[in-house]
Order: sequence, then structure tokens, then C-alpha cells
Amino acid sequence: MKKSKSAKVQSQQQNGHVLPFKFAKLLDPEASWDKDQLGDVLHWIRQVLGLLCGLLWGAVPLIGAKWILVFLVLSSGIIYGYYAHILKIDEEEYGGHATLLQEGLFASFTLFLLAWILVYSLAHF
Amino acid sequence: MATAFSSFRYADSLVVVGISVCTAFLCEGISWLLIYRTSTYKSLRSSIDKASKKLESMKSTSSSAAASAGAAAAAPAASSKKPSSRAKKMDRVETSLKESTRDLSLSKFKSGAVVAAVLFVVFGLLNSLFEGRAVAKLPFSPIPLVLKMSHRGLPGTDPTDCSMVFLYFLCSISIRTNLQKFLGFSPPRGAAGAGLFPMPDPKTS
Repeated sequence: MKKSKSAKVQSQQQNGHVLPFKFAKLLDPEASWDKDQLGDVLHWIRQVLGLLCGLLWGAVPLIGAKWILVFLVLSSGIIYGYYAHILKIDEEEYGGHATLLQEGLFASFTLFLLAWILVYSLAHF
Repeated sequence: MATAFSSFRYADSLVVVGISVCTAFLCEGISWLLIYRTSTYKSLRSSIDKASKKLESMKSTSSSAAASAGAAAAAPAASSKKPSSRAKKMDRVETSLKESTRDLSLSKFKSGAVVAAVLFVVFGLLNSLFEGRAVAKLPFSPIPLVLKMSHRGLPGTDPTDCSMVFLYFLCSISIRTNLQKFLGFSPPRGAAGAGLFPMPDPKTS
């Protein structure tokens, strides 16, 4: 009984420490990354950027096709800055810049357009 | 709440998004029932993951071996055998990866017809509900190619009027891709070779 209780407490403590460790890894340049893990992280960062930019562009509102280019440049720049300067990874190990930069690009672009169109239509008409 | 909802001029856009979200969950549910929970899919998926990882490690080993062979003075006979046997092994793994990918696609194709039927019905429903009506306003003027979809079936010549078709297209791509990713149903990287425009897995949608 005591053994199982201590094992349970230990696993709870481990679980309590898992979440902070995972988020710490996102900013740790010394962390090692699996190709799939890194791809997933970049994908989700892109989606968050797409959603935030879409909400912001729609709320202001920013109008014109040039803001699509601004979003693409901004989003790609942030992703590049993240893996090159924060994670400091060697992009050749993960398929090169093109592979990393295109992770989640199309989905985030459509999400950005969707958020931008929705907020613009609902908030300004 | 109903009056607040109807006060939006383009409240129809929320209906389109809501139906898209529900459809995405429904399609993934059907796909899980017919494809993802089967042992065939699980074993194919795991063999693709293993083969692609093995191929990657073999490629990185062969590139580092090629670099060191140039520097070291190895016996020509011995060095000529190793690269060719390694290349043969890589070919075998690559062939096995292609076969598993093809089998995975086939297994999804058979069950994808049900999902396609659901999507067809939903699209028909949305079309009948919103035909001839602008459901949203675009904050930009689209290029002529996109305009054909975004202004489909709408009266007038305002290029910023958005039809249901375009909004549904955006919803489908963004919501379904991310839902598949979140649930772990997106195609394995080693198999797909998704490229610049990865769509949600077409066999399940």
C-alpha cells in the first residue's frame, strides 16, 4: 500500500514537472529535436500567428492585398528567427530552410484569411 | 441571443463556419471508425514511420561515410563494396516505404467514399441555403483566378463580396488540417512528401 502510494506520488510529481519541462524546451537552444517534433512545433506556431494576425488585421481593420504579403513575410520571419536564433538548430539536419519554413504554411495562410475575413465582416458592417 | 446574432449583417458567415466545424468533426469521426482504429492502418503507419526513420539515418550515415572516405586512405576493393551494399539496402528500404505508402492510400481510399458522400451532402445543403447571397465581405480584392470562386453565384460586380463556396473552402482547409494534426490523423511526413500546399488528408475528406 505504502509502495503504491509513493509510486503514485512520484508519478504525480513527475507529471507536475512534465508540463514546465516541455515549455522550457521550446526556448532551450541546447535541447535536441526530433524532426517530427520540430515540424509539429513550427506548425502550431504558424497557426497561432495566422490566427492572431487575422484577428488583428480584421479588428483594425487593415484593408488591401498588400497585407497578405505583410503577413507572409512576418510569419515566415518569425519562424525563421525562432529556429535559427532561439533554437539555434542546424537546418541541414532537418531538410533545409524550405522544409522548415513550409511547415504549416498553407493551413496558417487559410486560417489567417478566414480570421481576417470573419472579423472584418462582423465588426465593420 | 438570437437578436444579437441577427444584428450582424454577415451573420451567415458564422453559420458557414459552424457547419464546417461540425462537418470536420463528423468526417474525422467517420474516418476514425472506418480507418484509423483498424489494425491494418496502425501497422502500416508504424511501418512507414520506421522505414522513413531508417532511411533518414542511412542517408545521414552514407553522407558522413562519403566525407570520411575522401579523407582516409581506404583500400579501393573494400571501399567499393561497402557503398554499393549500403546503396542496395537503402533502395530496399525506400521500395518498402513506397509500398507501405501505397497500401496506406489504398486502405483509406475504400473508406473515403463515405466521407466524400457526407461532404457532398453538406455542400449541397450550404449551397441551397446561401445561393446568391454574399456571406462575408473580403478586406481585399482577389486576383481573377480566386475571384471566380469568391464571387461564384453572386449578383453584381463588387469583387469584395464573398460567396459561401470560398468561405467554406477556407474553413475546410484550415479547420480540417488542424483537426487532423491535433488528433494525430495527418499523413506521416515520410510518406506524404506534402510540399508547399499540404491539404487535409484527401482520402478521408
